[in-house]
Amino acid sequence: MRKEMETGFVAVEKIGGRSTVTRCFSKYPLKFIIPRKVGSSITDAVWIYSLTYGGGIVSVYKSVGSKCSEQVLEARIGSNALLAVIPDPVTCFSTARYSQKQVFRVFSDSCLVIVDWITSGRHATGEKWDFELYKSSNHIFLDDQPLFLDTVLLEQGSVSSIAERMKDYQVIAMLVLLGPTLKHIQNQVQEDVKRMMSEQLRFPSTATGRHRSSDHRLLKPTFIASCSPFGPKGIGIVVRIAAMTTESVYSFLRHQLAGMEPLLGVPPYG
Amino acid sequence: MEVPMEIDKGSHGPASTNALLQWSQWQLLDSLLPTGGFAHSCGLEAAFQAHMISGPEDLQTYVLHVLENTGSLLLPFVYSANMSPNLETWHKLDRMLDATLTNEVGRKASIAQGSALMRVAATVFSEVPSLKMMRSNSLGSGTVAFHHAPIFGLVCGLLGLDVGISQRAYMFITMRDVISAATRLNLIGPLGAAKLQHDIAIAAEEMSKKWMNRTFEEACQTAPLLDTVQGCHAYLFSRLFCS
Repeated sequence: MRKEMETGFVAVEKIGGRSTVTRCFSKYPLKFIIPRKVGSSITDAVWIYSLTYGGGIVSVYKSVGSKCSEQVLEARIGSNALLAVIPDPVTCFSTARYSQKQVFRVFSDSCLVIVDWITSGRHATGEKWDFELYKSSNHIFLDDQPLFLDTVLLEQGSVSSIAERMKDYQVIAMLVLLGPTLKHIQNQVQEDVKRMMSEQLRFPSTATGRHRSSDHRLLKPTFIASCSPFGPKGIGIVVRIAAMTTESVYSFLRHQLAGMEPLLGVPPYG
Repeated sequence: MEVPMEIDKGSHGPASTNALLQWSQWQLLDSLLPTGGFAHSCGLEAAFQAHMISGPEDLQTYVLHVLENTGSLLLPFVYSANMSPNLETWHKLDRMLDATLTNEVGRKASIAQGSALMRVAATVFSEVPSLKMMRSNSLGSGTVAFHHAPIFGLVCGLLGLDVGISQRAYMFITMRDVISAATRLNLIGPLGAAKLQHDIAIAAEEMSKKWMNRTFEEACQTAPLLDTVQGCHAYLFSRLFCS
């Protein structure tokens, strides 16, 4: 990204054995909040909160004309360093247009945790997948080679509306865990998702197609997740989630990322 | 009396080349071509077992979502390969698609079908010797995954198939495979399946027009629920299909 387009820049380096913010710059509408201390003092981690004045990163307001709210994040993660991007979900209001692009450049021993998720809107006002456009790109490059290139585009279409594509699911989420240090968490997540979904799918529909709607076993699962390894030697895993409630996803993330507490100082989504 | 032999001047002209090309085109789209498409349900089996397909409307909707996602995610790779049907471009597209297909089920299906298509095409279309060459060169390298969409575009490009037809053809074979899977899952009968295929042709054409002729940087997925569900294929207790 060209320097003049940057709204903000943060650099974290190991100085005297401790992770330290060595550079921090932001200009309106972006602002960084870096608390002095998060969690126990034994943990070596820097927490950075970013806020955008006006629209807010998390809540995306109505679009004016066809202008699109756009966020771009570029991160370079060094050798043996860890970056965790763990936001609250994006909620697009009716007729909003939102686009986000996150590019991560890593080394083979870097660690990266990405949570990227969206809810269907302000349920209180009956908004369910009512926005015009949502686009989210997450690109990971390892030694300048493409490792993970994902872009999700949700746009109201002529052939099908977003709501139709989502059926009764109100939240979609993606969790990426990359790096050798996270191997034990990756393995645990894979096992948990496999066990949870095998249970859910143990009572498949029959070809006769008769469903007794009172029988819970024959209804759509309220929480669906699938887990895939990616990269050479399965260096990373990606979990995709579709859920009927936001709370179930918070709960899942809290549970699966609990093992990150020693690395981050506090459990994410705790 | 000597009868002068008349050489049929038309037999090597452009009109007959085009006609011959049509035969190759039909063969490429025929489910008879042994590329193993019948082993993949494009996530339909998982969706069915997750109780998302309870009737013919759900099935139709499902096929439309698969087609839209095929258009948005894979057509750019078919297009780019068709436009530059050479080894270097193919390898680059293969690498990009490998990073783009983050769903392991979908990724493996793409590799299985692509490998099969490349093997069949190299043997069948012997008038294009570069196919055989590219294939053996790439098998040796060990860094090529043999993903389906770029190979489909490559084969079409080398055969001389128009880029618009190639992209529509890719949408067609996807539709063919999902609907075929639906009949084998007993979600619809063969006659109903044929009717469905024709009924959604208009929508398939609209989607083809919408998503065609884009570069691979524009590739995106438009059906995240479908992607999530397809990823569950490996968790199914009993399965008919590979994906």
